Amino acid sequence: MDVFFQQLVNAIVLGATYGLVALGYTMVYGIVQLINFAHGEIYMLGGFGALTTYLALPSGTPAGISLPLMLVGGIAVSVTAAVIMERFAYRPLRSAPRLAPLITAIGVSVFLQELVRNFYPHARSARNFPQLVNPDYQIRLGSNVQISAPQLLTVTVALVGMVTLSTFVRRSRTGRAMQATAQDPDTARLMGIDTDRIIVTAFVLGAALAALAGVSSGLQFGQVDFHMGFITGVKAFTAAVLGGIGNISGAVLGGFILGLVEVMATQYAPDPFSGGAWKDAWSFVVLIIVLVFRPTGLLGERVAARA
Amino acid sequence: MTSQTIPEARVRSAPDLGVLLTGAGALLLVGSALLPWAGYAGFPGKMTLSGYPGGARLYVLLLALPALALLRPLPGRAAALRAAANVELAVVALTVYFVAYAGGGFVNVGGGVYPAMIGAILYLVGSRRLPTSEAVAEGVALPDASWRFPVESLVVAGTAGLALWLFVIGLGMPSSSIASGSDLTLGPLSINDVANSGQFLAYVITIAGVALVAGRLGLLKSLTIMTGRHPKLFVAAGFIAAAAFPFTQNGSGESLSIAARIGVFAAAAVGLNIVVGLAGLLDLGYIAFFGVGAYFGALVSGSVTSVTGVHLPFALTIVLGGLVSGIFGLLLGAPTLRLRGDYLAIVTLGFGEIFRITVNNLDGSAGPSLTNGPNGVSNIPDLALGSFNFGANHTLFGIDLSFQSNYYWLELLLLAFVMTSFLRLSESRIGRAWVAIREDELAAAATGINTTRLKLLAFALGATLAGAAGTVNAHVVKVAAPDSFTFIESATLLAAIILGGMGTVPGALLGATVLYLLPEKLRFLHDLRLLVFGIALVLIMRFRPEGLVASKRRAREFHDHETDPAAEAVA
Amino acid sequence: MSLLEVRDLRVAYGAIEAIKGISLDVEEGQVVTLIGTNGAGKTTTLRTLSGLLKPLAGEVTFDGKRLDSMKAHDIVKQGVAHSPEGRRIFPLMTVEENLELGAYSRKGGTTGEDVASVFTRFPRLEERRAQKAGTLSGGEQQMLAIGRALMSRPRMLMLDEPSMGLSPIMIQLIFETIAELKAAGTTILLVEQNASAALALADVGYVLETGRVVLSGPGKDLLKDDKVRKAYLGED
Repeated sequence: MDVFFQQLVNAIVLGATYGLVALGYTMVYGIVQLINFAHGEIYMLGGFGALTTYLALPSGTPAGISLPLMLVGGIAVSVTAAVIMERFAYRPLRSAPRLAPLITAIGVSVFLQELVRNFYPHARSARNFPQLVNPDYQIRLGSNVQISAPQLLTVTVALVGMVTLSTFVRRSRTGRAMQATAQDPDTARLMGIDTDRIIVTAFVLGAALAALAGVSSGLQFGQVDFHMGFITGVKAFTAAVLGGIGNISGAVLGGFILGLVEVMATQYAPDPFSGGAWKDAWSFVVLIIVLVFRPTGLLGERVAARA
Repeated sequence: MTSQTIPEARVRSAPDLGVLLTGAGALLLVGSALLPWAGYAGFPGKMTLSGYPGGARLYVLLLALPALALLRPLPGRAAALRAAANVELAVVALTVYFVAYAGGGFVNVGGGVYPAMIGAILYLVGSRRLPTSEAVAEGVALPDASWRFPVESLVVAGTAGLALWLFVIGLGMPSSSIASGSDLTLGPLSINDVANSGQFLAYVITIAGVALVAGRLGLLKSLTIMTGRHPKLFVAAGFIAAAAFPFTQNGSGESLSIAARIGVFAAAAVGLNIVVGLAGLLDLGYIAFFGVGAYFGALVSGSVTSVTGVHLPFALTIVLGGLVSGIFGLLLGAPTLRLRGDYLAIVTLGFGEIFRITVNNLDGSAGPSLTNGPNGVSNIPDLALGSFNFGANHTLFGIDLSFQSNYYWLELLLLAFVMTSFLRLSESRIGRAWVAIREDELAAAATGINTTRLKLLAFALGATLAGAAGTVNAHVVKVAAPDSFTFIESATLLAAIILGGMGTVPGALLGATVLYLLPEKLRFLHDLRLLVFGIALVLIMRFRPEGLVASKRRAREFHDHETDPAAEAVA
Repeated sequence: MSLLEVRDLRVAYGAIEAIKGISLDVEEGQVVTLIGTNGAGKTTTLRTLSGLLKPLAGEVTFDGKRLDSMKAHDIVKQGVAHSPEGRRIFPLMTVEENLELGAYSRKGGTTGEDVASVFTRFPRLEERRAQKAGTLSGGEQQMLAIGRALMSRPRMLMLDEPSMGLSPIMIQLIFETIAELKAAGTTILLVEQNASAALALADVGYVLETGRVVLSGPGKDLLKDDKVRKAYLGED
């Protein structure tokens, strides 16, 4: 049983990462119906932004100071990239046919990866990420079940981020405007809502959460690399679709389910299909199965019914 | 492109300052083409000879020729000359840059460079001062006379031949391979690499420029009218010219092998065009179907690394490979094609990843032994049809042909088959139903079209063609390995048809050629290739979302939106 | 000077010109109605006035300010409220949330008073205040759409086909509401297919045909006009 509970802990940690990134997909998709393929790269840039911040700090800065600064640095880089991307790549295409922005998104994704690979110093292979939160520091949850400090940080950051976002969208004036824009963009404009600003806000919030995920995965695995955004991005989008795209609770639920499927399949799938080599395949198998039975995801989609 | 209004009197008062400047620029450019551009030996294209326009100087000369239009006020003349001048400046600047770079500095350029630079600038400034008329050049339709048919046939066949000949020249331009494993972008490249890339780039830009000038003068429209009247002749001439290509290679196989790969890539792109361009189903995992065919072909090829040990006749392999891939298409499509577009995109992407992961794992340790894991199935033997061995050089009509010609011809047959399938389908009832589904699925369903079944048909047919192309490709490249079937390959195929123009055969061919050939030839970009690819995708979608060769309907769809206030209002 | 002045307005969808030069005036406190068949350009006119469409040419002046180049969300702030065709309430939000969004353009300030006054006008909405708007009946949705437009305390209210698809009883109720609003001094620009009811209420009416104003005048006069009676009131 200990193995099971330990894997459950791991699944929750993984699910938290997917959920954080999935929120960005779901918000943007809910409002502009765009699969922002480059969102995975925004997550990756968060990790690199934090690394850059760390390297800029004098060595020996205590973790209590450097860690918050790294989070800020990561968020700053991700948010900047997302705003530029929205303004110059996506906004001009807002009235173009659906396929055009998707191709643009793939282009932006390739571009950002290659930008980091070619121009970030020594980023052709993975770069070491500072181990500020000692991974050896394990908290015992049971006789043989434990959670490491970076894992705990990931879950905490994710929960705080998710709760804040959901409160913001539900309670704040801007959050209401986001909901309105998602349900009916034209009428939202008639209410006096600046929909352009709302769309940027969705990109910014999504980028900030993705940056949090990027930093915490750097801390967990002790490295960041230019390619880390692709598979995480695809999985996070899968999570968003699983939960019902456009649906904020759905993205979180989808993230945790995907984390669970991946970790548990790795552990318990019948031989020879268990083990790390197959874990990514399992996520997609589950996605296909879920969509066959619930074509709009587990909690239902929430996107504008455009005329 | 702003049309300046010029007083009537000034238009008439010749010679106009614009005409003078343009003419002077063109004369300087012609002169510079006869002077040496490189002060050292080694730059390709005899750039050191004087009195002889070799290499990139030919392009400079060619782009100065439209200035002859100054002698007569043709419709579209000013627009054509502006285009020519833009491209001329690009070619001159690029060539000077590469000559100077490869020569180790600007001091080593030849005397022709100076008049060329001055001429290009005069040409540009002058062409902008030319009086612009409102008249846009229209295509000329030949009168219905007895001589029309032979003349048109000649022009149409000549165009097909010319297009292929230009393609072949580009293909034949040397491109040295690069040293791998270095972090630097230009470091490991020899002077030759740089110079070759520069010459190739100048070549491509020149062709594009000539096409642009021809378009502005209305020549392309005339050509379209003519080819439109003799489409079969055009295609036949194209294929005959393509089939004759190996005879021009003097037994060398390098260009043939590249051409064969382009052909397979183009065949896959045309297949994907059925799924995306005709039926509007966004498939982000298309390369997986190609991979299914490739692995099937590899496993029954009799290769020593194949665990099956089976060796089927190749004709049967192609058919079965296509069928197996088609069955995968059905299995994936049947449950998922009811999903809305974006969901289908993510499901196909997922399928593509599952395929890659699976073939990577079926190595006997992480899974059953079938595909040799990351190493793939290699050492695929050469094909043999009866006593004819594809792996041997042959002599035909007294001309030596390298063994690559065999695979080239095989690929040409495949491409012909796929193109015929596409054209037949797109003109059929099924094709029209697909287009109806693409435009408005609900409306299509309301008119009695069985949308689910037809979407499944498109998906499965696309998969079948990809599978067939995959089996051929396995024999051309002699290996089937997982890293050839990644997401970026699917994205590149998709980009090829979107770059070329969705839903058209010439578009898919052009897109596939450009996307395959450019990275192959632009070695100087080295590690920046993908970066440039990413930027290119963004820019193409921004400025020409309908692609280079837009089908007429498609162009309307895309450009209506730009002036549609309702669409703008949504933004 | 009129509150709203429209001069030679032209609007196109792609190559198709839907409005081919319309001029009209709305005085403060007036009810002005646009009538005409489907495709005459009534809805297009309102959508252009509220900034959802960009005009090809022409001028729109509201209280001395040019609206034609202003963005939709800024036009609302000038005091123009638009209750769109088909009601377009936010289906996944409650009645109360819909009303609150109506006051979005008025930054700060309380909305309680305005919500209360909407509820006084439409008691049915108060009963359903916490219900998702998508579950309301058509008539209730129309009340909500009008109430939501009133929440911005507009200086001019634009109503697009408020009676469309409603039961006769509901239609009567909606027209009574418009009459009450008129009595309270609200400036209203009303687009209607139900020409007789609209003209009976209106101070001024404009008849639109294929993007042009073909007839205009006081509502009562238009109601008596032979052409109008034949073409729009279905009388021989």
